[in-house]
Amino acid sequence: MSDVIVVSQKPSDAGELIGLARTMGNPVIVAFQDSAERVEELLGYGHRVYRVKSSRPEVLAKAVNILYEEFKPKLILGPNTRNVKDAMSVVAGLHDIHMAPDVVEVRGEVDGVIYKRGFMSERVTITVKVPYPTIILANPRIAEPAPKGGVGELKELSFDSMGVKVVEVKPKELSGINLEAAEVVVGVGRGFKAKDDLRMAFELAKLLGGQVGGTRPIAADLKWLPEDAWIGISGKRIAPKLYIAIGVSGAPQHMSGVAGSKIIVAVNKDKAAPIIKQSDYGVVADLYKFIPTLIEVLKRKRGASHST
Amino acid sequence: MSNIVVLVKASLNPEVVRQNPDGTFDIDYTPLKISDVDRNALEEAVRLKQVFGGKVYSVTVLTWGPLKAREKDLRLVVQEALAKVADEAFVVADESIIPGDYSVTANVIASVIKKMGLNPILVLAGEASIDESTYQIPGRVAAKLGLPYVGYVRRIREVRDGRVVVERDLEDYIEVLEVPLPAVLSVTQELNEPRPPTLIQIRMASRKPVHMLTLKDLGLDVKRQRSIVEMRVVTVSRKQVLIEEADVEKAALKLVEYLEKEGVLRL
Ligand SMILES: Cc1cc2nc3c(=O)[nH]c(=O)nc-3n(C[C@H](O)[C@H](O)[C@H](O)COP(=O)(O)OP(=O)(O)OC[C@H]3O[C@@H](n4cnc5c(N)ncnc54)[C@H](O)[C@@H]3O)c2cc1C
Repeated sequence: MSDVIVVSQKPSDAGELIGLARTMGNPVIVAFQDSAERVEELLGYGHRVYRVKSSRPEVLAKAVNILYEEFKPKLILGPNTRNVKDAMSVVAGLHDIHMAPDVVEVRGEVDGVIYKRGFMSERVTITVKVPYPTIILANPRIAEPAPKGGVGELKELSFDSMGVKVVEVKPKELSGINLEAAEVVVGVGRGFKAKDDLRMAFELAKLLGGQVGGTRPIAADLKWLPEDAWIGISGKRIAPKLYIAIGVSGAPQHMSGVAGSKIIVAVNKDKAAPIIKQSDYGVVADLYKFIPTLIEVLKRKRGASHST
Repeated sequence: MSNIVVLVKASLNPEVVRQNPDGTFDIDYTPLKISDVDRNALEEAVRLKQVFGGKVYSVTVLTWGPLKAREKDLRLVVQEALAKVADEAFVVADESIIPGDYSVTANVIASVIKKMGLNPILVLAGEASIDESTYQIPGRVAAKLGLPYVGYVRRIREVRDGRVVVERDLEDYIEVLEVPLPAVLSVTQELNEPRPPTLIQIRMASRKPVHMLTLKDLGLDVKRQRSIVEMRVVTVSRKQVLIEEADVEKAALKLVEYLEKEGVLRL
């Protein structure tokens, strides 16, 4: 009997989640959004796949809810995306079961699950035990991918959505940069007064062979950077050798995204800004004076080393 | 009736994480503050109150103890909601629901809304709280109330013909949606620019009713699911070298020297 429901939004999240599911039970898969379109890739794991041709949380919630009632699973596993969190919060509410997103470690026991996740903007880790049934959402990277094999059975599911009507779908502005892989990241915050001024940050990043990212207000609010350049707990988590935060205050939601950096440099005109105590080198200066000077110094240095 | 309910949490403040000598998290001495995104929900309620014409109620469920020690922080949170927009505040503070449990909190909120006859056309909440950040209370409350739920609302465009038109910020794209009312919405920071309440508003707030409730008042019996095994403070050990020079050139040279020593400069 199937006792774990695995929700898959993209084929790239499926292998790990199925691997994790197999350590705890016998999975069936719900494939929505990209995974529904490329369902063959999921069938290759040999489990039954329910296809939901939609990416909407309302529709996913209904699909998982129907299967929940049918299978009475002990566990629902899914990727930690906005769509899945939204849908699963409704399923959790309908059945009064526990739900934990952003889980970084999980282990199945006889009578329940023990998991670990960040708390207090990841300044604290909390370890929790909950009874079955429960919902666990995680970045798929926390698990080993399952080996493929067999051909699963395909079933189709479709539902309406409580009268919520889509008027328009707008793509997000993404640039395709891969901040996670960058060795040097220059991070910009609201200390910058105008979009044009970010040119300094780009010039610095270019000199250092790095990329430019920013805080949530810079990317999401002001839209001075594409959304995939948004660093933090609700954006990208980066782990460069060098992170230079310029005009960034150091809110916990930003700092948890850069915790993996080897060296953190902060440039802030306010000595009392929280980021100063959370960096290796804190430069107290007006970025408008300091960054152009730093660029000059670096250029001189490069010139010197290239001429020898 | 076209009332608005705003969920407002007294969250542990992640900027002031207190630690016990053994490295565990000292929850009892970590202060509470209003969860930032709830300010965006309150700000939007100011605007929507004009549209709907009904009352605005705030609902707060205390999830962190010790109860006695939380009175002041809790009062400040509730005061802000009242000063900003709420006509009345509903607060549930009860030893039996501390520490919080997501399913319990949602049941308590739904029960306040139903039993106190708040009759909302719209329930607004922040997308997540700043302490636990689990993004699930609004969806759970919607499920309990049997209402449609739309999360991650980054813009409320208009209200017309019993529907609200919103922009939802999902993982890979943004949707414009028409949502039938009543409904539950969770909102993001991008929704608006919250203004702090004025002094006059703060003064007026002290005259507005605050209803303190216990589970007994709600006739509610709850079952907690999670047991917390351990909470450990993550130790960050950064070098914290301060570079403070009147001459920026000097500061830049110093920084470059440090970074060269660290081996992280590649020109
Ligand atoms: C649920 C939730 C999730 C969130 N997720 C994220 C996230 O993923 N990522 C994120 O970044 N934020 C996130 N936030 C927002 C976060 O709390 C902060 O609001 C945000 O990080 C602040 O951005 P900032 O540092 O650019 O701006 P500010 O806090 O306004 O800081 C600007 C800084 O610039 C300095 N400054 C100003 N002028 C100058 C100058 N001329 N020279 C030098 N320094 C100057 C100031 O001293 C200040 O320290 C989240 C918040 C919530 C509630």
